[in-house]
Amino acid sequence: MMRVLAIALVAALVLVGASLDTSAQSDAPPIKIGYAISRTGPFAPGAQATQEPSYILWAEQVNAAGGLNVKGQKRKIELVSYDDRSEVETIVRTFEKLMVTDKVDLILPPWGSTANFAVAPLADKHGYPVLAPTALSMKLVDMKLPNFFSMLPQPYVLMAAAADMLAANGVKTVAVIYMDDVFGLENIAAFEPAVKAKGIEIVDKKSYPLGIKDLSPVLRAIKDKNPDAFVGLTYPPDTILASKQSKEIGFNPKVFFTAVGTAFPLYKQVMGADSDGVSGIGSWSVKTSPAAKAYFDAHVKRFQKEPDRWASAHCWAGLQILQAAIEKVGMDRKAIREYIASNEHATIIGPVRFKGSEIQFPGTVGQWVGGDFEVVWPANRATAKLVVPKPAWK
Amino acid sequence: MARRGLAAVAGGAAVAAALPWLLDDFLVSLALSCLMYVALATSWAMFSGATRYVSLGTSAFFGLGAYVSAWTVAAAPWPVVIAGGALIAAAFAGLAGLAILHLRGTYFAVLTFGMSELTRHAVTYGEKQYAGTVGRVLTVAPSSRTVYLTVLAIAVAAVGVAVVVRGSRFGLALIGIGADEQRAQTLGVPTRRVKVAGFALSAAFAGAAGAAMAVRWTYIDPTAVFNPFIGLQTVLIAIVGGPLSLTGPLLAALVFSLLAEFLRLQFPYAYLIALGILLIVAVLYLPQGLAGLWQTRARAERPTAAR
Repeated sequence: MMRVLAIALVAALVLVGASLDTSAQSDAPPIKIGYAISRTGPFAPGAQATQEPSYILWAEQVNAAGGLNVKGQKRKIELVSYDDRSEVETIVRTFEKLMVTDKVDLILPPWGSTANFAVAPLADKHGYPVLAPTALSMKLVDMKLPNFFSMLPQPYVLMAAAADMLAANGVKTVAVIYMDDVFGLENIAAFEPAVKAKGIEIVDKKSYPLGIKDLSPVLRAIKDKNPDAFVGLTYPPDTILASKQSKEIGFNPKVFFTAVGTAFPLYKQVMGADSDGVSGIGSWSVKTSPAAKAYFDAHVKRFQKEPDRWASAHCWAGLQILQAAIEKVGMDRKAIREYIASNEHATIIGPVRFKGSEIQFPGTVGQWVGGDFEVVWPANRATAKLVVPKPAWK
Repeated sequence: MARRGLAAVAGGAAVAAALPWLLDDFLVSLALSCLMYVALATSWAMFSGATRYVSLGTSAFFGLGAYVSAWTVAAAPWPVVIAGGALIAAAFAGLAGLAILHLRGTYFAVLTFGMSELTRHAVTYGEKQYAGTVGRVLTVAPSSRTVYLTVLAIAVAAVGVAVVVRGSRFGLALIGIGADEQRAQTLGVPTRRVKVAGFALSAAFAGAAGAAMAVRWTYIDPTAVFNPFIGLQTVLIAIVGGPLSLTGPLLAALVFSLLAEFLRLQFPYAYLIALGILLIVAVLYLPQGLAGLWQTRARAERPTAAR
């Protein structure tokens, strides 16, 4: 009896040992990917709507598939992430920690232009390539940092597309408001020559400070001038403010265009049926491709919230590019940078390549059509037909 | 007292100056953060602690310094940039002080807060009108080691000046104003001049710190550099440390910066709550700030020693 027990015990030990042994063989060290992003502070709503969910989803999907294929080895992803408190100094310090102290293999960018301005030179200095989905400034592109890639088309591309769309729909006059910050100013600088080239007259042009609580005086003055189109180069809170107050004063031009935030699921939650016919910056929808639909569904399933219809997909595309680069050339950051810079990449927003830091991607216009946000311009990217004139506020 | 204090400051500074050669970039950045708040909290306490004119305007001076840096860093030598930040902030504080230093208590605090909002909007407007931009890119930047040593020098200067001021007629006048302004005036203290000078002197350090820190961020805009949080945090540190003491704000700046970073990295979702609770406890049970801990003990020990 004792002997049987002893044999059984030895057998069990051998089995356990063997299983440990095999798992040790198949488990290559994980790839450490670090980032700091805003979970608290003023950047947090944008960062949590557009960026961090995609990072988490990507790592989970890759790990569920056994990891990334690096030179014949399957390696899982280990995310090392911190809250940056929406403070530039904290962002700089945390990325120094990631790159110098933690020595992560790769980094993912923070949210927003200001944060990327601070991180891009630092990452370049330490030789870490960055694919930034929420950095929108020609000044950043003009710094010509070899390791920095912007996933969004720049203001002159976006505004040219908007001007094309307005002209093609018989708009002769436009009123524009813009925010006093780098986004608003760079976009208005691009917008003015773009519409003038199309023979559209700007009948009113007003700027407003960040965090404004009342736009109705500005909107009333615009309403009196009765322009064909309204363009708001706005951020999410003012996008919603401008929409709500336009409805209140009964201002309903042929084209109603607001910039950032129009493509957020939040916009429809707040505006309800009034969202119908509102245009804005957006570049994809579930109808863009089956891959885009798969991303959308996975995002909703994992986080019970929809990705936004602009930069979310550009963020995901950046992760796809990074993944392809790792699986192609391995973990050498110089080689990854070369691969990103010199190839065309298949992504959920279509094939893209880079010219310097700039993504080669057309400007697009989106619109809420029949309860969903669709791409409506240019025609070859459209997932729905543009509705002009905009239906009345409900 | 002053001599021993200065010796301790010199010793601490020598250790801090060696850090960039001993520690990695991240830890040096952390030390830099500590030093920035040492400079801000010490210079704040020098004026506001002594006179009890609670100023929430630190972020205005810090932001002005940052903009001076953005305007001049590509053209001027680095020490001139820092001195420029200090001078512009001091000049602005002097002018503002002439206008608002006759108000006391809450009114003064609220006005200084309004002043930093006003400065933010004025800079935004000016930049938009005359430069056609709001944010500024700082492509020419000194090395991070230079920035660190600069902020260290500013912090040392702040502590050194605070030590000297405490022992001077000027410092006594500031404390006199804090104790009873009318009495100080009756006794022949030119209160208005002393207040304006003290306010401007303390603003100079915030301006210099802003000028030095801005180059780390590559891009600055009014929302980032006129962040009211910088002013509030400075006041909190000085109050937790003990605004009337010299060592209190200094140590509180170190403790607070390290603790905030530790909590942020280790407990990302609980750190603000933990920080808030700690602050409440500090204010409730340490009315004299951290400095109260050793000051009361010293007071308690003294009679025993005499006996």
